[in-house]
Amino acid sequence: MVSTEDFDNDVENKWCPGCGNFPILDAMKESFSELDLPPEKLFLVSGIGQAGKTPNFLNCNMCHTLHGRALCVATGAKIANRNLNIVVNSGDGDCYGEGGNHFMAAIRRNIDLTLLVHNNQVYGLTKGQASPTSTLGMKTKMQRQGTFSVPFNPLAVAMVSGAGFVARGFAGDKEQLAGLIRRAMQYRGFAMIDILQPCVSFNTVNTMKWYKDRAAPVEETDHDESDLKRALDLVLQDPEETISTGLLYENKSSSPGDFHRRLDVLTEESLLDQSIDMQTLQSLLP
Amino acid sequence: MATEVTVKIAGEAGQGIQTIGTLLANVCHNAGLFVFSVNDFESRIRGGYSFNILRISEDPLIAPSGKPDILVAIDEKSADRDMDTHADGGIVLLNTKEQKDLPDHVHAVSFDELASSAGGRIASNTVAAGMLLSILGSGFDRLEKELTDQFSRKGEKVLDLNKKAAFAGFEKGEAVPFSEKLKFESSGNGNVLMSGAYAAALGALASNCRVFSFYPMSPATGIMASAAEFTGRLPIVVEQAEDELAAVNMAIGSSFAGVRSLTSTSGGGFSLMTEGLGLAAMTETPLVIINGQRPGPATGLPTRTAQADLLFTITASQDEFPRFVLAPGTVLETFSAVKKAFHLSDKYQVPAIVLLDQFLCDSVMTEKGTLEMDSRGDEKNLECRDSKPGKEQSGETGQPYLRYRFSENGISDRRIPGTSKALVRSTANEHDQEGNITEDAEIRTKMVDKRHSKIEYMKEEMDPPSIFSKESAVLLAGWGSSRGSIMESCLTLRSLGYDVGWLIFHDIWPLDWDQVSEVVTDRKLILVEQNRTCQLGRLIRQQTGIAFSDSVRKYDGRPLYPDFITENVKKMMEQ
Ligand SMILES: Cc1ncc(C[n+]2csc(CCOP(=O)(O)OP(=O)(O)O)c2C)c(N)n1
Ligand code: SF4
Ligand SMILES: [Mg+2]
Repeated sequence: MVSTEDFDNDVENKWCPGCGNFPILDAMKESFSELDLPPEKLFLVSGIGQAGKTPNFLNCNMCHTLHGRALCVATGAKIANRNLNIVVNSGDGDCYGEGGNHFMAAIRRNIDLTLLVHNNQVYGLTKGQASPTSTLGMKTKMQRQGTFSVPFNPLAVAMVSGAGFVARGFAGDKEQLAGLIRRAMQYRGFAMIDILQPCVSFNTVNTMKWYKDRAAPVEETDHDESDLKRALDLVLQDPEETISTGLLYENKSSSPGDFHRRLDVLTEESLLDQSIDMQTLQSLLP
Repeated sequence: MATEVTVKIAGEAGQGIQTIGTLLANVCHNAGLFVFSVNDFESRIRGGYSFNILRISEDPLIAPSGKPDILVAIDEKSADRDMDTHADGGIVLLNTKEQKDLPDHVHAVSFDELASSAGGRIASNTVAAGMLLSILGSGFDRLEKELTDQFSRKGEKVLDLNKKAAFAGFEKGEAVPFSEKLKFESSGNGNVLMSGAYAAALGALASNCRVFSFYPMSPATGIMASAAEFTGRLPIVVEQAEDELAAVNMAIGSSFAGVRSLTSTSGGGFSLMTEGLGLAAMTETPLVIINGQRPGPATGLPTRTAQADLLFTITASQDEFPRFVLAPGTVLETFSAVKKAFHLSDKYQVPAIVLLDQFLCDSVMTEKGTLEMDSRGDEKNLECRDSKPGKEQSGETGQPYLRYRFSENGISDRRIPGTSKALVRSTANEHDQEGNITEDAEIRTKMVDKRHSKIEYMKEEMDPPSIFSKESAVLLAGWGSSRGSIMESCLTLRSLGYDVGWLIFHDIWPLDWDQVSEVVTDRKLILVEQNRTCQLGRLIRQQTGIAFSDSVRKYDGRPLYPDFITENVKKMMEQ
């Protein structure tokens, strides 16, 4: 049996004490051990930022890539080896800003990956500039008069773009988050969890208390996650009032767009285990 | 003397100029002749002015010719434009109904009408091909066979129409006087006929490359289109990425996960890929990129040719890191260079870039030799996961697996995640031997040294430039696809009594420049390049301290023909 300790390592953790990333790390370990996934079967891919550092603090295969490009590297790896369990750690800036185009493409491609966006509504690593999800008017050292751009709504965008597994986690609810990560990894297709993550150093607006006051787990309601329209209603709520957390939408009709099933070469066997036969190639030449 | 003829087919985009060229090239090639076919077209789908210029010879060809003996003007505009540019004794076939006052060498014939009477105007290109082949001295049966190969898939009706159309053209051609007849043999000579783009794709497939990620950009799109022909028939995935950033990073992801991958692009896309190039370098992940050059900056001339990314390709990076840069000059060289790139990139865990250009990607040529496909199992086709590491590094004997273990040649044991107990840990940040982030000054210095220590070994893998008549006082120096034109021009100049040799680079970086120094010392170097500032000349000067004395430069986006070099060098040498 795999235990959470199997994922511990002795790399010095570089996050600020009290950072909302710590419970996310714990929840990841918990879900991996619940899924009985040993470190060598797991491949974590991340972008750059505080969120991007996450794989460094876990004992498993990892590739900590470039700002914004984690989904691309993960996509390439999954095309190569469909048997890898790939989880992507990304930040709100990383995923929705620098990597926005890749985020959209990953949804449409619907390749079997789990995306965790540590959404602290700020650029943490670069010391507190506004991010695509920063609240309108939030003041920072760079945005002296407050931000002028309307915040990006990642979950609404994901839903209307056809994502099959859309969830919101909260660093203040580890148990719910661990369950969501587990389900996301079991989902066959692209699964995303946007995680409310307090940044104690740079986000004085969206604090742990602020989130706690608004977080509303859908498990405690009669929400039906197969109902896309109701799910959309939930992500269009005013976040100043209520932020619904939990599994908001799941397309249970067996992830219709599963990339691997569309490409017959990937259905049976991993590309990694296949080879081009040179005689066949020769015979195909004009 | 071997007979040779150059045919130029000119008209608007969308008129099927390339179809005629391809038919002609195939028939000639299958009759043991040598062809060199260049496509010159505008960045538009219809209208404008495009041409295919096809040089056909009984002897092997190394370069294109810009002087047509036969001009086929599909529309009158092209005729007006080209009437004077063709060689003495040449003829013009003008696609027109009107019999105006035409000079003797201009023959009016309506391909469209002949095609209509054969059953469909759509076959007017086949009429033109039929006419040309009879003028060149081919029998009709050869064309008939080629048409059967091409059209039988499309059904009896289509094939029939094309045969009739071809015959109508063929008969017309018999009445056109033309003295240069080519010798059509009964069979081909077993040589290769293909474009550089196709050769590049085959080189990748022959290297067991199974992931092709790309974003469309001329002239590199043809490489991926060629690979895509094999989807469903070979275990490959051709994925059109959302942009070049994605294309290169997907390629890195596949490679990291153990499957060879290729991405190809042109200058603008390569600029975007520079970031990913650094990721491959930092994580020591094999990566092969083909940069099909076109004139820039920015969008430049999308469908035209240039050799102006040399210095950029060698230096493109954050900070500095080793990489291979190869610049093949022919289709077979392209095939081998791509194979070599895969092999070396795997072996040294550094990026390898193959520099092609529009001229090489889009030109179709017959080349003596064969494609060496059957390299399975040999060292050249070594796949990372086949290289089983020593037990002591497997992590099972107590010694931990270190992805970035220091070693004498800088190469560490690369494992594939998920295939053993060993954990593969990589980061784009500076890292320690285990692959974890570090900012330790000493480790940082050692890691930079580790990556760079590969260079001395990499140099030994490179082929030196090819040299001809090394003792000549003047050497024409160039690289990549200019090769053939430089060589032909050099031979012409020598036959005219000029003492010149050549120095042509195909493997460009990293090189043992001391070897180059020895050759170029006390020689007058004339650089022949398709860029404004003589990038190869500057590189030679940078690496050897030896300056070039003169240059033939061309940066109008058009192909470099041997005559252009010859004329310019003559002037320089007469001064
Ligand atoms: C190409 C590039 N541009 C900019 C940066 C600098 N940079 C690093 S992380 C970051 C923003 C991180 O914000 P986010 O993704 O929200 O992650 P967080 O630190 O908040 O977890 C930026 C701008 C970079 N590393 N690379
Ligand atoms: S800056 Fe914010 S996100 Fe980064 S480690 Fe500190 S608290 Fe966490
Ligand atoms: Mg952030």
